Amino acid sequence: MLQVEVAQYINSDVRVQSLMQVAKPLAGFVQRLKGKQGRFRGNLSGKRVEYTGRTVISPDPNLKITEVAIPIQMALVLTYPERVSHHNIEKLRQCVSNGRNKYPGAGKITYSDGSSRVPFHNVRRKLADALKYGDIVHRHLEDGDIVLFNRQPSLHRMSIMCHRARVMPWRTLRFNESVCNPYNADFDGDEMNLHVPQTEEARTEAVLLMGVQNNLCTPKNGEILVASTQDFLTSSFLITRKDTFYDRASFSLMCSYMVDGMDFVDLPTPAILKPIELWTGKQLFSVLVRPHANVRVYVSLTVKEKNYIKSKEEGEREPEAMCPNDGFVYFRNSELLSGQLGKATLGNGNKDGLFSVLLRDYKAHAAAACMNRLAKLSARWIGNHGFSIGIDDVQPSKYLNDRRQETIFKGYQGCDKKIQLYNEGNLPPETGCDAAQTLEAGITRILNNIRDETGKVCMKELHWRNSPLIMSQCGSKGSPINISQMIACVGQQSVGGRRAPNGFIDRSLPHFPRKAKTPAAKGFVANSFYSGLTATEFFFHTMGGREGLVDTAVKTADTGYMSRRLMKALEDLSIHYDNTVRNASGCVVQFRYGDDGMDPASMEGKSGAPLNFDRLFLKAKATCPAGGNEYLSPFEVSERVESRLLEDDMTPEGGCSVAFKNSFKSFLDEYVKSLTKTREAFESVENLAAKENSAIREKIVKNISGVTPKQLEVFLNTCISRYHLKQIEAGTAIGAIGAQSIGEPGTQMTLKTFHFAGVASMNITLGVPRIKEIINGNKNISTPIITAALKHDNNVNTARMVRGRIEKTNLGQVAKSIKLVMTSRLASLVVTLDMERIRDVQLCIDANIVKESIIQTPKLKLKQEHIKVLDVGKLEILSPDTDRSKIHFQLHSLKNLLPTVIVKGIKTVERAIIKKEENKKTKTSKYSLLVEGTGLKEVMGTEGIDGRKTTSNHVLEVHQTLGIEAARKCIIEEIKYTMESHGMSIDIRHMMLLADLMTFRGDVLGITRFGIQKMGKSILMLASFEKTSDHLFSASVNGRDDRIEGVTECIIMGIPMPIGTGMLKVKQRDTLPSKLDYRPNAILS
Amino acid sequence: MAARVACPGVHLPLTNKFLVRMAELLFDDIFRVERVNPDGKKFDKVTRIEARSEKCGMFMQLDVNTDIYPIVKDERFLMALSTSLSLEGGQQSLADKFEYIMHGKLYKISDETRAKTSDGGSGPVIEVEIYVSFGGLQMMLKGDPSHCAGFELEQRLFLLIRKLT
Repeated sequence: MLQVEVAQYINSDVRVQSLMQVAKPLAGFVQRLKGKQGRFRGNLSGKRVEYTGRTVISPDPNLKITEVAIPIQMALVLTYPERVSHHNIEKLRQCVSNGRNKYPGAGKITYSDGSSRVPFHNVRRKLADALKYGDIVHRHLEDGDIVLFNRQPSLHRMSIMCHRARVMPWRTLRFNESVCNPYNADFDGDEMNLHVPQTEEARTEAVLLMGVQNNLCTPKNGEILVASTQDFLTSSFLITRKDTFYDRASFSLMCSYMVDGMDFVDLPTPAILKPIELWTGKQLFSVLVRPHANVRVYVSLTVKEKNYIKSKEEGEREPEAMCPNDGFVYFRNSELLSGQLGKATLGNGNKDGLFSVLLRDYKAHAAAACMNRLAKLSARWIGNHGFSIGIDDVQPSKYLNDRRQETIFKGYQGCDKKIQLYNEGNLPPETGCDAAQTLEAGITRILNNIRDETGKVCMKELHWRNSPLIMSQCGSKGSPINISQMIACVGQQSVGGRRAPNGFIDRSLPHFPRKAKTPAAKGFVANSFYSGLTATEFFFHTMGGREGLVDTAVKTADTGYMSRRLMKALEDLSIHYDNTVRNASGCVVQFRYGDDGMDPASMEGKSGAPLNFDRLFLKAKATCPAGGNEYLSPFEVSERVESRLLEDDMTPEGGCSVAFKNSFKSFLDEYVKSLTKTREAFESVENLAAKENSAIREKIVKNISGVTPKQLEVFLNTCISRYHLKQIEAGTAIGAIGAQSIGEPGTQMTLKTFHFAGVASMNITLGVPRIKEIINGNKNISTPIITAALKHDNNVNTARMVRGRIEKTNLGQVAKSIKLVMTSRLASLVVTLDMERIRDVQLCIDANIVKESIIQTPKLKLKQEHIKVLDVGKLEILSPDTDRSKIHFQLHSLKNLLPTVIVKGIKTVERAIIKKEENKKTKTSKYSLLVEGTGLKEVMGTEGIDGRKTTSNHVLEVHQTLGIEAARKCIIEEIKYTMESHGMSIDIRHMMLLADLMTFRGDVLGITRFGIQKMGKSILMLASFEKTSDHLFSASVNGRDDRIEGVTECIIMGIPMPIGTGMLKVKQRDTLPSKLDYRPNAILS
Repeated sequence: MAARVACPGVHLPLTNKFLVRMAELLFDDIFRVERVNPDGKKFDKVTRIEARSEKCGMFMQLDVNTDIYPIVKDERFLMALSTSLSLEGGQQSLADKFEYIMHGKLYKISDETRAKTSDGGSGPVIEVEIYVSFGGLQMMLKGDPSHCAGFELEQRLFLLIRKLT
């Protein structure tokens, strides 16, 4: 009884023999510790703080991107303790005399002796007069104060950033729309939080590390995150249209929009001087980037916008700036030469966009200033211009309606034909599909085509002033599909990746005949949102919509837990001063971060390359005009490059990775080659013409692709010096960044969970479930696939042979007959093999092999002596039982079991499919095998397979077969593949780090509580993660101690953690101050 | 071949004595509009014209603000490119002689090799392309290298047009 009470006191969940019913057990110690609201996670890892605020947010394009508008009511409550000094005493006197209810006032005064006074109405004058240096006034928030701004869910570090306060009337927190992206905020009622750091140290650190201007880029992949959105894109798109012209008055007015009329603007020469002076919208953007001559910003970049028309034929030249749609954006020395600006140039998620280039070449301040100007210009311009959407924007014309009808009719006919073929049984199946699957795939293809086609017609026919069209073209909102759904045709509704399922017997809804496969019966919506949906169409549409909602709800929970686990596993990894990545206890995880020690946040090139050489070369050529300087010959160029590359800072010892050197060199070699080619082209023609033109020709060649010594030098030096600046700083909490970079995209993954791996009918899991599988290090994954290369990959027949060896073959498949032979003396089974068929499919099976495989099947319990080989294709099997009464039944059961005996192939393999890859250039096809199932070792050992090029997507199997390094590679590749197939780019360094963490113990550790436990983490950290009580109990039993060096432990103890700025400690002289005795003196001594 | 080299601004059908003396004209010739909006009409106020010059056989694509200066197919016009509008020793400006003037920047010179044998010659023909942007209105001038000697990257150019009746 007592024991029960004690046990319940400690843990109220312990099972008690129910001798008596306790009304409701009190929460035990364990209950108070564990869980999200428990002591560990609720109070120790996350603490409640003062000096915070929260309210609804709204946009204000007139604010700078670094600012946040704070309502006066909020500023009256939030205070900052400012020390009185010579410089601020007058201001603080005023604050104190205003009291606590008038802005700008003060809430409290603290004196050096520790006492404090509140400036109440009656004493505030007196207190203000008595203010002296060294006192601390808790004054109200004022303009320019540093505050932290945050929106949940805080998925990455840009979810909490440091802004400057602007105290303003009204009741919402306001900020520039450009900063919506990092917070993932919109203004449909979102609320955000505000924190006010209370010391100068905290402020400094906040503004330097968390400031908006220092976090324009995401460390996920180095793309810019703070960039123009929505209306800003729309108005920029409209302003830079080729046929927008402004006269002097309106051009000047717009110039003053962007600088508030408070700054100098150099008016450019008008583009058209006669018959009337006219400026173009593009010139306005040149002014925006570089308002006057003292702004030393020379941006050079090229971007291909969405509406850029590429050259159709291969080998044909790109139209570039001559693109008829004006889709090629070309900035040269801060002058917009061509292109209508859209999302690719101004929006987030492009490394070659205007703001990215400004940020990289002219630092954050230039980019921020440009964004401020653009926000002001756009908001004011679009306010005057007007931009709205109405019913006439989605009304289809008669032509459009006819075309739509025609397309749908044609598509329906195609479907009917397929259905008819299917019903007659004449539908030719596609590789790896049965007839029903082929039909489904065919119909889905046709129906998707209908939507695409109507969409295309729609986009072509709309007037350019159509608002949805403008929005989709510039990338501010909506896609062509959205438009065509509104105007033309909503299209096929899918549930779970296929057409609407049969909720009733053999039909989706009772409105249709049974077994109907027509488009309308399986969820094709032929109407548009404008024309209105029929009842059944509406129902199908809700089915699709519901799936989306459910998926989002499930996904948030899933990815949230995944992020938490990743964070717990990676939180303490940081870069040390020897360039290694170590965890809190100093254990090395990587010897050099990402193999090159680069900071992912500052990678400029595609797929994680440090620099974009093409752009830098363009910039070098644009910023250093040739003037009268001599150009270099190709030989001189390569000579100079060679000598520069031999210098100290291009060696591995000088901190330059081999990969970078190679890519740099290959770029320069490529350039020298093209220069030589141009020269030769001119020279070859020159031979035909008169020699006297050679000087002219030489000059032209140089103008086309020449480079001056100055340009080359500038280019080489910028590349190299910038490369060295991109080294990651020691102390960076790269683990936490990596965890966020992998966790955050999970929330954005669409519900596309399956994908065809090269061949239709072969699905592989993707999306959040797949990421989870990889990270957990699951033993069984849902779709294991081995990609096997063939030794001879150009022949279908050899591929088929190899497939035959891998795919399992049953006895039933190769036997002509299995007969029960009963004679008076003997009862036996006779198996006759179908030798003809075996030869046809080129399997080497004969009776002896069958005998072996039967013996090796343990279920049958047959031994050597029970099987007799009669000839090549015939076997006789006797019953192992000698009991005469049982023999009959035994033989019958054997007869049933024998066809399932696997005579050839790998048991763990489900099936194998030949994948054909056609090379269009050489018109040859390559074959490889996709093997569904496990058994990598066996597949690699199969004759005809090139084991060196064979991989699996099963991490643990790769580990068992090929070892830990292969497993690491496999983790990286699989995460990368999954992320890429969802259109998400993540720097490979993050995945490397994760893979290294999962494998650095020599075993594949999943990011689960079991895996994390094995990573040598502290008890407090494990207790704060999962299974709180178990860890605490075992730690106390074993007498473990904790060195408090990890992140979680330090947070729990409330001390700075040894990461980032907390990495270094200040050494102090250790002469102890005289000891003070706080106790009162003893009465009796 | 030698006759065509002398093209830049020396003996052209400009009888005016000012124009004869003009050394700063980088290029001038009479063009005939061959096509209008070759890729379809995309903009309301701006038309892309394709024209070919009569003397030098240069090919030109040019965006013109046809809202204020209409140009139609088969029209002939005189086009000149110059770095400056001022004339030697005089208050008069080059602008007075022309109806439509644009100002822009030369940003790209490139070459194209074609295996063309139209003028009887054999072997590949090399042509130089000059790209100028007049505040976003593009010009592409393509032709024999000998006519393009005066052009340089980053040059600021005036484009002057006068219609010939």
